[in-house]
Amino acid sequence: MVLKLYAAPQSTASLRVAQVLHENNVPFEFIPIDLRAKEQKQAQHTEKNPFGQVPYIDDDGFVLYESRAIGRYIALKYAGQGTAGLIPDQSDIKALALFEQAASSEFANFEVHAAKIAYEKLFKVRLGFPTNEEVVKGAIDQLNVKLDVYEGILAKQGYLAGRELTLADLYHIPFGTRLYRAGLGDLIDSRPNVAKWFNALLARPSWVAIKDGITSTA
Amino acid sequence: MVLKLYGWPKSTCTQRVGMALIEKGVPFEFVMVDLFKGESKTPEYLQKQPFGQVPYIDDDGFTLYESRAIARYIAEKYAAKGTPNLLPIADVRARARFEQAASVEVADFDAFAGRAVFEMVFKPMMGGKSDEAVFQDLITSLSAKLDVYDKILAKQKYMAGNVSLLPLPLPSHPSSSYSTRNKRKLTKRPQEITLADLFHLPYGVLLSTAGSDIMQAKPNVKRWFDDLQSRPSWQAVKDGVKSTV
Repeated sequence: MVLKLYAAPQSTASLRVAQVLHENNVPFEFIPIDLRAKEQKQAQHTEKNPFGQVPYIDDDGFVLYESRAIGRYIALKYAGQGTAGLIPDQSDIKALALFEQAASSEFANFEVHAAKIAYEKLFKVRLGFPTNEEVVKGAIDQLNVKLDVYEGILAKQGYLAGRELTLADLYHIPFGTRLYRAGLGDLIDSRPNVAKWFNALLARPSWVAIKDGITSTA
Repeated sequence: MVLKLYGWPKSTCTQRVGMALIEKGVPFEFVMVDLFKGESKTPEYLQKQPFGQVPYIDDDGFTLYESRAIARYIAEKYAAKGTPNLLPIADVRARARFEQAASVEVADFDAFAGRAVFEMVFKPMMGGKSDEAVFQDLITSLSAKLDVYDKILAKQKYMAGNVSLLPLPLPSHPSSSYSTRNKRKLTKRPQEITLADLFHLPYGVLLSTAGSDIMQAKPNVKRWFDDLQSRPSWQAVKDGVKSTV
């Protein structure tokens, strides 16, 4: 049975999962969830994702939510096809540890701040609410500090976990693109190593396939 | 060479690593990094932890930072020691359930509990002024998330659910002499604790210091959290991480 992705076409977390499905050549059926109608809060949805969020998958009866968990599951289950090594093999304990270090950093040092910016400058504005400029400034200040560290890391290695591309790099893309949409692309563009790394990620066919919205591939 | 844990004794993230080391029975030397003297921002320190934070470990020359990454590394390296299956990576589905719970801890618990504790406990320590309204907002959001936790924990003992290492029981043979009760024993799998549960402790415990009893307010969350707090690994680090060698 084809894997089903219950998601919203432009939700950052949904895009995160769709990209991994493309990277590992996993055909999937996209079932759109209407966020404006709050479909994700209805009983039919919360039965599968009790936090009332998108996305979740149904892989032949195996239901999973949390985009980063889903991405990991796909990368492990389909490790033999498409892009190799998106998670280092568990037999290489040090490589796996360095991946986990980068993956933890992605959320704690990047998403935490980038998500605040996206929420204040994109999401709230779309719904007609005022932007809290103080929150935005605080997040920008934090990102400046964190991306300076990224600049140093990426001076010494091509990807955040080491020499190879992993999920830790890919997971930055959805909110990274939202920084550009918020008019703050300079946070990335002003740092040569970060810009090179990020632009290479954006050029990947897996991102090009979904950047304007997720569609079924099965 | 004994593993070295560089951190601050009562730093939540340092405690998270200390707990994992003790659960796995891994001896370690605790090296104090004096945050108030700026020791985590020196050029030497930044060579090891470029974000200038605590903790990091030095395991015979291999350095690693991010407390959850360190705990995962220890759980995997010492899989055969101490508390079993803290990082259930043997089976794709068990691992996925673990990752789901681990992601929930970061995005749905730490995101609110961490900031709430910072507002009331750490901010004043750094010379800032607590904002009660910000705190209450965060607790309201956390409470909504813990309502979901309560539903999940009504059906399973720990947050990752079924991650057992036991193989699936053989399908019962029609001529099997096993009684129905034995068959039920074969198919029942233990509900195992994982890192996803333990990661909640440091900030979870500080919520009451911050002024919220939210961890006691929902019956299954209370049962689960009281159980976590009683573990020897938490008792050993709750007043500050110390060397075990």
